[in-house]
Amino acid sequence: MEAVSVPLEHGLVLAALLFSLGLIGVMVRRNLLFILMSLEIMLNSTALAFIMVGARWAKPDGQVMFMLILTVAAAEVAVGLGLLLQLHHRFRSLDTNAASHLRG
Amino acid sequence: MSNTELVALLPLISFATVITIVLLAIPFWRNLKGICALSVVGLLISLATILWTTRIVPIQVTPLVLIDQYALLFMTLICLATVAVALLAYDYLKEREGQQEEFYLLLLLAALGAIVLVCSSHFASFLLGLELLGISLYALISFPIRGQATLEAALKYLILSGVASAFLLFGTALIFAALGTLSFNEMVQGFYVDVGSNRLYVMVGSALMLAGICFKLSLVPFHMWTPDVYEGAPAPVTAFVATVSKGAIFAILLRFFIWTDAYQYESILFGLGIIAVLSMLAGNLLALMQSSVKRILAYSSIAHLGYLLVAFIAGRLAGGAALAVEAASYFLVAYFITTLGAFGVVSIMSNGNRERDLDDIASYEGLFSRRPFLATAFTAMLLSLAGIPLTVGFVGKFYIFAAGVQGALASYGWSLLVALIIGSGIGLYYYLRIVFAMTKRPAATDSAATEWITIPVAGGWVMLTLTGTLLALGVYPTPLIELINSMVRSLPL
Repeated sequence: MEAVSVPLEHGLVLAALLFSLGLIGVMVRRNLLFILMSLEIMLNSTALAFIMVGARWAKPDGQVMFMLILTVAAAEVAVGLGLLLQLHHRFRSLDTNAASHLRG
Repeated sequence: MSNTELVALLPLISFATVITIVLLAIPFWRNLKGICALSVVGLLISLATILWTTRIVPIQVTPLVLIDQYALLFMTLICLATVAVALLAYDYLKEREGQQEEFYLLLLLAALGAIVLVCSSHFASFLLGLELLGISLYALISFPIRGQATLEAALKYLILSGVASAFLLFGTALIFAALGTLSFNEMVQGFYVDVGSNRLYVMVGSALMLAGICFKLSLVPFHMWTPDVYEGAPAPVTAFVATVSKGAIFAILLRFFIWTDAYQYESILFGLGIIAVLSMLAGNLLALMQSSVKRILAYSSIAHLGYLLVAFIAGRLAGGAALAVEAASYFLVAYFITTLGAFGVVSIMSNGNRERDLDDIASYEGLFSRRPFLATAFTAMLLSLAGIPLTVGFVGKFYIFAAGVQGALASYGWSLLVALIIGSGIGLYYYLRIVFAMTKRPAATDSAATEWITIPVAGGWVMLTLTGTLLALGVYPTPLIELINSMVRSLPL
């Protein structure tokens, strides 16, 4: 059976679209929970890109990077959720505008 | 893995062991002084293993890690800076409420991340080092949760740093698509064969990566987070962010460019040139308008990273790589000493169980009459930042200037030099503003400015050592220059 493969360009375009969606989410959302979710989308889109590229070169490096990115994103969100709890504890809100006071 | 390779990895192994010991000790032994001492001893042991490793370098251990003189120099620098931060943090934390011992765990983890970063020769280890450093820093910045400035600083750093990491990773994926390798060594061959869509991948990928790196180095226009994070973070952590985090990332950027011969991409360098000019001018101009010492130092660090880029860009000339490494290394050593010292003073001033750090210029008024030693040390640090002779900062600036003059021979290089001169001129004003504030007699009604500050033992020794080194290397820089020269000669440039 012949293996059906997705062209690299298609995968990268999908990853780029997801990346842009995540970036837009980080920029326009004010709710910290959604910002963290958008951040996760950005990181996972890069993981997808690594998988695609790894498949192109038939190298395991892509999958290794995927695992590392998964771990890193989880760790990052874990700390992020800790801060989210602090934010909620202090302001009774997840709105990042509530915590924005530093200027200059 | 052979024995030599294991010995080469000893600094990393001993560091990880120390972290495990500290992790296990904390639940049973809630003693800030003890844990601080344990961490410092562990750091010194790692430092000893670094010295021991010098006999067998350079050595490539697995495709991930390259231990050479360059990596060892920066490892030493990172270890010493972490010792200084650990001691300053002890005084900073000891009078605060709650259990503070975990601070040292996070500090050591962040330092391990920085150490992995400077010896990485593969994007996998690069990512691991970067994120170990970054994630520990999010927790460190928000560590003694006090005022809301700390929380805001940690949130800003977390979100923006996460976005920057995503940019960096996406860029890496595109470069991987074009070159088919993630190892710095193999990229050397890869960069020469760019045809068709590969060229697009390389250009877009490099642009995304540079955006991510410039964010981490807080270069204009990716600098927005810097003053807020510097202001909100506890002073010892600010010192760590400003020195270890940025120094390690700059070191790996320079290594990446030299090892992969990325200097041949003129358009990337042109972009970096614009970023350098903007950082030097914007950093210095914005610092003029600040009234907080921490914010002034934040903008000054933006400008200093701009100066570093001048040396970095000089590496594009034929044979310029050696000069770039030499100038950047010396400047980084100077920058480490000076910035640690400057934030050390802020840290000592802010000791005690207060809501926020004492960083308003007004609270430094009359420091010369209240605390002559602290004021003298701060003056020395500020003069060194400004690049006044007899300080280590002058020699560092001189190196950057020499690299800039070399670079000025090529196209657009002169504009970097002009920005460097203008930036240094403006810088003098706001550094001296702090010095003048310290000589001024404080208003009797201002409680913060008349408050008595006790100089703690550990912090006092750190400041004394830093000031001494600053003057010693400013007056007689030869030993350090020779050390750096021998490091540069050992590199395959």
